[in-house]
Amino acid sequence: MAEERIICIGCPLGCLVTITIGDKGKVADISGYQCKQGQKYVLEEYKNPARILTATVLTQNSSQPLLSVRTAAPLLKTKLTEGMMVLAKTRAKPPIKLGDVIISNLLGTGVDLVATNDLAD
Amino acid sequence: MLQDVDVAVIGSGPAGMAAAIKAKEAGAENVVIMERAEQLGGLLHQCIHNGFGLLYFKEDLTGPEYAHRFIEKVMDAKVKMLLNTMVTGIAPDRKVTAVSSQEGYTTFRPKAIVLAMGCREKTRGALNIPGTRPAGIFTAGTAQRFVNVEGFIPGEKIVILGSGDIGMIMARRLTLEGAEVKVVVEILPYVGGLIRNEVQCLHDFNIPLLLEHTVTHIHGEKRVEAVTVARVDRNKNPIAGTERQIECDSLLLSVGLIPENELSLMAGVELDPVTGGPIVDETRQTNVPGIFAGGNVVHVHDLVDNVSWESELAGQSAASFVTERKKAAGRRVTLKPGRNIRYIVPHTISGEREVTLYMRVNDLEEGVRLKVGGIMSKALRVVKPSEMLKIELSSAQLGKLEEGTTEIVVDCEKRGE
Amino acid sequence: MSEIKTEVLVIGGGVLGTAIARELSRYKVDVTLVEKEADVSWGSTKANMCIVCQGADALEFRKEYRRSKLVWESIPMMEPLCRELDVPFKRIGELTIIRNNDEMTKFQKLKMRAESVGITTHQFIDRETLHRMEPNIAKDAIGALYDPTIAITDPVRLTIALAENAKQNGGNLITEAEVQDIARNADGFEVKTSQGNISCEFIINAAGMLVDKVAAMVNADDFVVFPIRGYVAILDKKVGEVVSHEVHARPEAPGESNIITPSVYGNVLLGTPMKLARRGDYATTQEMTDVTLRNAHQLVPDISGKDIINSFAGFLMFRNWELGWHECVVSASRNVPRFINVSIGYPGVSAAPATAKEVVGLLSQEGLKLDENPKFNPYRKEITDFSELSDEEKTELIAKDANYGHVVCRCETVTEGEVVEAIRRGATTLDGVKFRTRAGMGRCQGGFCSPRVTGILARELGIGEEEVTKKGGKSRHLLYKSKALLQGRE
Repeated sequence: MAEERIICIGCPLGCLVTITIGDKGKVADISGYQCKQGQKYVLEEYKNPARILTATVLTQNSSQPLLSVRTAAPLLKTKLTEGMMVLAKTRAKPPIKLGDVIISNLLGTGVDLVATNDLAD
Repeated sequence: MLQDVDVAVIGSGPAGMAAAIKAKEAGAENVVIMERAEQLGGLLHQCIHNGFGLLYFKEDLTGPEYAHRFIEKVMDAKVKMLLNTMVTGIAPDRKVTAVSSQEGYTTFRPKAIVLAMGCREKTRGALNIPGTRPAGIFTAGTAQRFVNVEGFIPGEKIVILGSGDIGMIMARRLTLEGAEVKVVVEILPYVGGLIRNEVQCLHDFNIPLLLEHTVTHIHGEKRVEAVTVARVDRNKNPIAGTERQIECDSLLLSVGLIPENELSLMAGVELDPVTGGPIVDETRQTNVPGIFAGGNVVHVHDLVDNVSWESELAGQSAASFVTERKKAAGRRVTLKPGRNIRYIVPHTISGEREVTLYMRVNDLEEGVRLKVGGIMSKALRVVKPSEMLKIELSSAQLGKLEEGTTEIVVDCEKRGE
Repeated sequence: MSEIKTEVLVIGGGVLGTAIARELSRYKVDVTLVEKEADVSWGSTKANMCIVCQGADALEFRKEYRRSKLVWESIPMMEPLCRELDVPFKRIGELTIIRNNDEMTKFQKLKMRAESVGITTHQFIDRETLHRMEPNIAKDAIGALYDPTIAITDPVRLTIALAENAKQNGGNLITEAEVQDIARNADGFEVKTSQGNISCEFIINAAGMLVDKVAAMVNADDFVVFPIRGYVAILDKKVGEVVSHEVHARPEAPGESNIITPSVYGNVLLGTPMKLARRGDYATTQEMTDVTLRNAHQLVPDISGKDIINSFAGFLMFRNWELGWHECVVSASRNVPRFINVSIGYPGVSAAPATAKEVVGLLSQEGLKLDENPKFNPYRKEITDFSELSDEEKTELIAKDANYGHVVCRCETVTEGEVVEAIRRGATTLDGVKFRTRAGMGRCQGGFCSPRVTGILARELGIGEEEVTKKGGKSRHLLYKSKALLQGRE
């Protein structure tokens, strides 16, 4: 049976939790956590290691060189680098308001990329 | 705009905005924010990562989003703003001098001041890292500004000294932008910032972390070419023979934040040498009547949420000072840092009303009990110098104080001792 | 620049080279100065203790040495020169600390020898007076030898001012022009530089750390010099009051100076033993800091390493290092006519005024015709220091030029107006702006101002921000524009 080690980020203790994976990738055992929240986090992290991507995109026709952006929901962490390549090709044109969608359905994940700031001329 | 100012707030970062909004809400009519940049928000604009507002708004916001919420409130509250304005002096009588292209050189005396200037970064010069003086050495915050606001990547092969949150966040940021972060070097035996950042900034991107090491030499004449790192002993001294060179073109320093109190000193404000910020009472008033302070200028926070709450207190107190609804000076109880407590803010409390204490420990310890005099104690699984502790004292608990108490000692004791 | 013809070529834009160029601009002489760095003053001139009017403190009073003559003659010249050029000059005086009777005897001899060459400024002061003058001096100091002549300046500002004044009066200045080869011809010399060729009749070799290398290019190297390296630590202005004079302990070994001095800007500088080192090795070490602090503590126990905001190494070229004293090289080459070597070693900044005049005299002896330039104007004005203006002056200035209302360096209160002026006067790099305005020299060491100064440099010079350098050449500050690394991956 395979084992996976995940650090819980819930509190400064940073417990190292071991998940044992059995047949068909199901979780057979979990040990090393010290609280319920930690157990919950680690299981979720194992199933779906997702991260909010925060970054910038270049602008066009604006005195501001960059626009700060974020994904509206977490992306699978394996998609972050690919996502950055898409952002590298993206240009934001004013006027933009905080929350506006800059890229919809990034990499076909269903997650939008939105502006976290306004963009003026 | 500068006639009959009730409250002048110096700085419009999270501290300044919170203070100004609250001052208005608490009844001060003429509230002015003095900000040296072209916009409100301070450093929040360059903190494009998330993790802001988890407590204050119960949402996971990025820095600019957090700023936006407060900027809207500042506008709604009709707080006045002087942007592109650098305050160059504050006198002990609260006379403020400022410079701006628009207004020229101005002086005025507000009825109250809230200091909200934030902090600056510790430099290579202050650390006195041996070696040459090439281009390519940046403090992490300055690098963050270039990357997130100006639109430049400082270099391609990066070494980061210091594993505080800013260092780790920049490690991730630079990696996402295509640079190679070769290593994060940390002098202590444990990571300086949050575990969350260690996992999501370093582990996620396979960025090596060298604990108990430091940079002992910088190489390169015109531009950084390499750094030497070495292991350190318990006293943080490099161990001879453990040196090795790491090729790089940039060195980022995330080695400490220092409250920015040049103006406070000019105003005669007394500073605590441990925090680097003003000595304050529970209303966040300094030793100079009418001068209040909140946020990183008082002590460097981990969470912007606490910066906002603390500064609201300062703003409210400043407004009360002006409208003279301030209570007569009551009892003054000094909070004394005891075992493994580095500092406590506020430095004094009245002991008469509920209050929130912020403190930091000196050393990492597990299985401890925090004891506030004899009136409150709390068990904690682990305490770390880089994670601020927040302790609420209720009126009931304070009611247990003996009559005539002038000092409360706060200790962090090992449980089972 | 491809081909230039000039009368006198000055090689080296340090304090000596620029002082000579300025002196020559008093005459109708076509003078060109070439400097290999992106700005003047970046060699030894910028890496020393900033002390001038030295010479009376010299342990060696070799009357017959040219060096002594140049140093002593410069003493009364420095203040008027600084006033003409509008650069800082502060007469702080020097206290050579006496710790025991042996030292007392030694310094009595020094005083007598100084008097024998006409220097009568030394005074002995007793323990009480010493501690009144310098309350923070170590308690075991029994007195001091006081020389009120010693002063401080900003050698970099002085050099920049000399260069500006030389230009004002018709001189030519070319930076980033490294001399690569020199050939003799019938009319004088053909000089190959990294920016093209220069033909000239006379050469002044004031190339500092490379003075012997340049001389060797044309076999004019009838001298030997050794690179000696020192270390300076700068203390925060908040401890600026720890001494008010230059305080000095005479150590046992030659060149092992133990100096604490205020700077003209309110910082304190700590200076340390100088040692033979590899030419151009500017790397500082922990040991240098440790030794400097240890030495400083002997004089002023309160000095703390925590107050160091920056430190650097600097070189001097000495002739007879082991002997503890040395002669300078200020003479026409024996082998090559019209080629004058200029190297003072220590104290170079102090000796600059008289050396410049001496060199002009040497040029005349070599055949240079010196007709006075009736348009020569010795006066030059410094960039307006906004932080020093009165309230009314500040308001007036901002009304005239809004850039003076935009403060870009918070630590030293430097405005955009000053930065723009610095660029107009020749700064093309972050360090060039720093040395002309002090933006970047404060506590935050450029953390706040460098993004702003980078932007202003880019705008004024019409270049991209990523082309701005710290100190010319390959010292670009920002290597890539946003997304360039990602786009390069595709």
